[in-house]
Amino acid sequence: MHCMGKNDHEAIRAVLGGDKEAFGALVMRHSHSLFRVAFRITGNEADAEDVVQEAFLRGYRKLESFESRSDFGTWIYRIAVHCALDRIKSSRANEASRLAEETDPELDDVQVADLAAGPDRLLLSGEIGALQQTAMQSLTPTERTAFVLRHMEDCSTEEIGAALGIAPNAAKQAVFRAVQKLRFRLATLRVKV
Amino acid sequence: MKHLTEEELIGEAFGERRGKSEAANEQHLATCAECAQAYAALQNDLAEVAPVEPPARDANYGERVWQSLAPSLAVYRADKRRWLRTGLWKGLSYAAACALLVACAFYAGRQWEQRQPHITVVKSAPPEVKQHVVLVVLSDHLDRSERLLVELKHADAGSTEMVSPMRDEARSLLAANRECRQNAKQIDDPALATALEHLDRLLGELANQPEGLNTATILRLQDEMNADGLLFKVRVLRSRIPDQQTTGTNRSKGGTI
Ligand SMILES: [Zn+2]
Repeated sequence: MHCMGKNDHEAIRAVLGGDKEAFGALVMRHSHSLFRVAFRITGNEADAEDVVQEAFLRGYRKLESFESRSDFGTWIYRIAVHCALDRIKSSRANEASRLAEETDPELDDVQVADLAAGPDRLLLSGEIGALQQTAMQSLTPTERTAFVLRHMEDCSTEEIGAALGIAPNAAKQAVFRAVQKLRFRLATLRVKV
Repeated sequence: MKHLTEEELIGEAFGERRGKSEAANEQHLATCAECAQAYAALQNDLAEVAPVEPPARDANYGERVWQSLAPSLAVYRADKRRWLRTGLWKGLSYAAACALLVACAFYAGRQWEQRQPHITVVKSAPPEVKQHVVLVVLSDHLDRSERLLVELKHADAGSTEMVSPMRDEARSLLAANRECRQNAKQIDDPALATALEHLDRLLGELANQPEGLNTATILRLQDEMNADGLLFKVRVLRSRIPDQQTTGTNRSKGGTI
């Protein structure tokens, strides 16, 4: 995502100089990588598409604050990560308030049991995503995002920190907590099989 | 022999930067069967949550994203719609700041009729100040509307008790929306006018449910909102008002656009 830096800067200069269409090149060049990370964080196609649009909108609006020394790909990628994190935070908040209403202590077990009922079926039918999603649900939005960036997007802890607006060490801790929780969840799922 | 902690094992698995301690860890891992086993178990777990391949987007995906965005983006240029650019309002004069304050107070209360003297102040301000006030009020209104639409979008149609705050907010926004529609006439922006009109309809329906919102109504409103792309339109409109023009208002929004 860093290879087109020079073209990107030319496009940005053109946009700021009044050539709106030049932004199209940036959108077309970076849409796929933004969609990929947005999908991995939100786990949902429709949300990921929303995130991509939102990220470019925010990017366009903030284009004047873009530092010409930086890489546009990295910049817009971070904006997308932020949008995706916001998205899962708000859907998580809704979910939490819904669950708070249903004060059923066994609810968690029921969900686990449902999914644990057929992990083989899940694997065989290619729906491995469902098992993974269940495990990922035990993470906070920040942990989830940090883990996705580290494990799936190969970002360094410095990059994760920058994208999430936290210190590299805090990013590292978030990844660590995420892995611990995931392993605990996977162990639970295995026991139930 | 001191075994590796889980944190160190995770650091190994993710290839954390090689320092002195990492080199020592690696060496330990190569010679200690116990840690090697723990490491293998970790690798196994990480493989269970392998990177997800997102559903493929076709080659025209970027083009489609651009086509959906392009009509809503304002050109970066100092033309007759200068309010779209930063800079113009950067140094707010004292008079403009006062008018701004008045406008915010006026907007915050629903009893705007009682504040006629303040509105008179706004009206007597120079035209560019007046327009700025309109934009600040509008930007705040769009922020609040966006938040409400997001809530509606994610509202669980099954739990109707949760939505009464939404109805109250819709009532409060409805009055403000009418004001904004009046003011928007000064801006001469068809996209804005249409969106505010749609918003008016939706807010009206949300606000005027005597027995509260029932499941069917929520589902229908969600459908209407989605069919209309209203949330997206509101975001686009909001994004066309640069933040620099709205600093100093009582906006309380967090990270969302
Ligand atoms: Zn050992």
